[in-house]
Amino acid sequence: MSERSVRISRLPRIPAVPLAIGIGILIGGLLVLASGGDPIAAYREILIGALAPSNWPNTLNWAVPLVGMTLVAALPLRGGMVNLGGDGQLVIGGLVAAMAALYLPLPGPLLIAASILCAMIASGLYASLAAWGETRFGIPMLISTLLLSYPAIGVASYLVGFPLRDMATGLAQTRMIPDAARLPTISGPLNIGLILMIVVAIAVVFYDRRTVGGYELRMRGQNAKFAGYGGVRLASQQVKVMFASGAIAGLVGAILVLGSLYRYQDGALLTPGYTWSGLMAALLAGGAPLGAICAGLFFAGLQTGGFAMQRETAIPRVLTMILQSVIILFLAIRHGVGRKSS
Amino acid sequence: MVVDSTARASDKTPEPRLPMSTIELEAKGIVKRYGPLVANDHVDLSVLRGEVHAVMGENGAGKSTLMSILYGMQAPDAGRIVLRGTAMHYRSALDAIGAGMGMVHQAFKLFNSLTVWENVVYGMEPTRFGFIDRREAARRVAALAERYSLRVDPNAVVAQLSVGVRQRVEILKALYRDARVLILDEPTAVLTPQERDGLFDIIRNLTADDRTILFVTHKLHEVMAITDRVTVLRDGKVVDRMVTAETSAREIIRAMTGRAVNLTVEKRPANPGAVVLEARRLTVATDGGKPVVDHVDLSLRAGEIVGIAGVAGNGQTELIEALTGLRVPDGGMVSINGVVVTSLDVERHRSAGLAYIPEDRATTGTALAASAADNLAMGFQAKPPLSNGSLLDAGAVTAHANKLIERFGVKIGSETLPVGTLSGGNLQKVVVARELSHAAPLLIAEQPTRGVDVGAIEFIHGQLVAERDRGSAVLLVSAELTEILALADRVLVMFDGRILAELPAAEADEETLGLLMAGRVGEAKLTDGTEAA
Repeated sequence: MSERSVRISRLPRIPAVPLAIGIGILIGGLLVLASGGDPIAAYREILIGALAPSNWPNTLNWAVPLVGMTLVAALPLRGGMVNLGGDGQLVIGGLVAAMAALYLPLPGPLLIAASILCAMIASGLYASLAAWGETRFGIPMLISTLLLSYPAIGVASYLVGFPLRDMATGLAQTRMIPDAARLPTISGPLNIGLILMIVVAIAVVFYDRRTVGGYELRMRGQNAKFAGYGGVRLASQQVKVMFASGAIAGLVGAILVLGSLYRYQDGALLTPGYTWSGLMAALLAGGAPLGAICAGLFFAGLQTGGFAMQRETAIPRVLTMILQSVIILFLAIRHGVGRKSS
Repeated sequence: MVVDSTARASDKTPEPRLPMSTIELEAKGIVKRYGPLVANDHVDLSVLRGEVHAVMGENGAGKSTLMSILYGMQAPDAGRIVLRGTAMHYRSALDAIGAGMGMVHQAFKLFNSLTVWENVVYGMEPTRFGFIDRREAARRVAALAERYSLRVDPNAVVAQLSVGVRQRVEILKALYRDARVLILDEPTAVLTPQERDGLFDIIRNLTADDRTILFVTHKLHEVMAITDRVTVLRDGKVVDRMVTAETSAREIIRAMTGRAVNLTVEKRPANPGAVVLEARRLTVATDGGKPVVDHVDLSLRAGEIVGIAGVAGNGQTELIEALTGLRVPDGGMVSINGVVVTSLDVERHRSAGLAYIPEDRATTGTALAASAADNLAMGFQAKPPLSNGSLLDAGAVTAHANKLIERFGVKIGSETLPVGTLSGGNLQKVVVARELSHAAPLLIAEQPTRGVDVGAIEFIHGQLVAERDRGSAVLLVSAELTEILALADRVLVMFDGRILAELPAAEADEETLGLLMAGRVGEAKLTDGTEAA
């Protein structure tokens, strides 16, 4: 009796990720079949769209902001904290980068560096505002990060709709930034934002594994009371980690504005939903940076594959969103089972 | 290996001390593995109806595992349980309860905001027209309490009851479900000596009614006082079975540890030096109520052990939190080594010279899911040799962990394993090892041996005395009077948030301290050397 119950609780644990992906593919395939489509063709197009060498630039271009926002969520999550304010921090980063690029009187490379730096600092400060609110006044960060997004988005929307609006177009957007402020391209849509993001990803993994701060953050995530008792200064740690998390969001905003959009456009940074896909990827990996990066890459592949599938077949892109959701739901079941039996 | 002589004896000739005895509960060949660890290795246990049967053993000996199997919370990998001649297959504790098992856990499982009767009848409420019959429920609970002399007011709210009374509510819960076999897991850990004696009276009432008690404990004098027979576990195996009246504390210890243990602590007279820890008018308030720590003055010198005695819940926890920086006090001053650290975080206390063994090793003292290496590194991570302040040296972290594991004899397969798999005593050794290796001028040890076996107690006590002799100031908080009496050079008694009295060790005895712990200053015979606050 006991051996059987042990086996039951262990069965879904080891192959959880492939199992969840398999179930997701199965359910997605059935949906395609039910709507009269060809699931094999759909999945083939997703795979080609995501992984064919000629499509790599597209996938990577999508992966840069998504993995960035994954790290935004994963870094605080490693310490048991939740940053739901990615949207607001992203918008601030994008807008500040655009304004710096438009108004700072600096030559080429310096202008880029200054714009990115301003974006990171602004978003970092905005995110640490939530941390300060919790450590100083006890406002739960889970709520404050989310709520602080709305004023940021709203004010940015107003600024580009009125004072900073490009009068040449009828849209709520800033003027185009000067060529000197645009990120140098590598190939096709890819720009040096990719390299910046790789550097940040490596830095986060290194921080997590090798530094004193990373150790203290992991211990906080395992047991915050233990970390505090052991002498980790929880309040300043929280503010610093949230600053770093927000700064990465600011970097993502800057890369999008300086590398792809070349202006700040109302809503353009939020429509693709990088923040929430990133949050899901981070949650899947439980905040572990390397796992979160892999999950973020996987979601990026799925989404660019979805665009390709929509182009090549009559099947709408929403299929990939279904896949993503089903996979996450099944992995969540795994977590529930694991928690109960342990 | 000792054979099960008693079980066989009952078939043929009845045992001289327990005539007409029938076997109430038997465990045969119980095996339980957790990965490579064999927690129970073919354990045989045989308990007679109406006896008090002690299950003893060091931490990690497999007592808790065995009890959770007997109570249906875990299924054994092999072996069977026979209750009153019937083989049992429990799917959950509910099956075991239905079969007449009851258990009082070390941490009570009560709804604190509900009344006593609500707690007792929960899940088996008497009903009338589909509604809970409150009067009938309260009446039944009162009748049950009356029958076994369990003094409890059925309408009292649990939150307002003392620990001793809460334990009676737990016992009532089991009796209400007509438990024939009652497992008491470390039942005296939180009781004053007077409350403990009350519990023993209750146990005698229960066995007089032919109910059977399984008494899990570390405390030898209690085993000698109340039990009929003893089963001793070591490393998951039964190593001895004894009739209490025919054995001695020393023999039980030898069976538990495989060696004779020195129960008293050898120590030279204290040689107090400069003041290391000072608290003045330290106060911790509660919302609306009276302060839980009420203007406490305290001073602790290098080279002495000061014990704080008191029943759990009289403000000791909050006092220590305020002294260590885990809690911001509402008034007063704390200084360590002359540095005023009031209201600063733990890190500032630690850098001023604090090492701290917390009361709760599982929620404060360790991160259970983290490895032993990570747990042992805490507090050392920001300085050499473990790091240069910003980068950790993984090799040094491992070496540091292995050094402490070896020096303190922590039983763990590898420093990479999570400490959540360790037994209570081994987990405590992890905490003690880490804190003592700071070699700090001030050590605050809070319940350092709670739920820890005899061997580990002896070891930890020796370490605390060594700390003192090294010139460290040691503040010992313990609900365990024997511990205070064995170690402390001075004793402070805490009651209701205040330091009620201060006694030199020479004048502290169990009875005086017991009365003071109950707040009965008038009855305690205080001599001139004693100050009553």
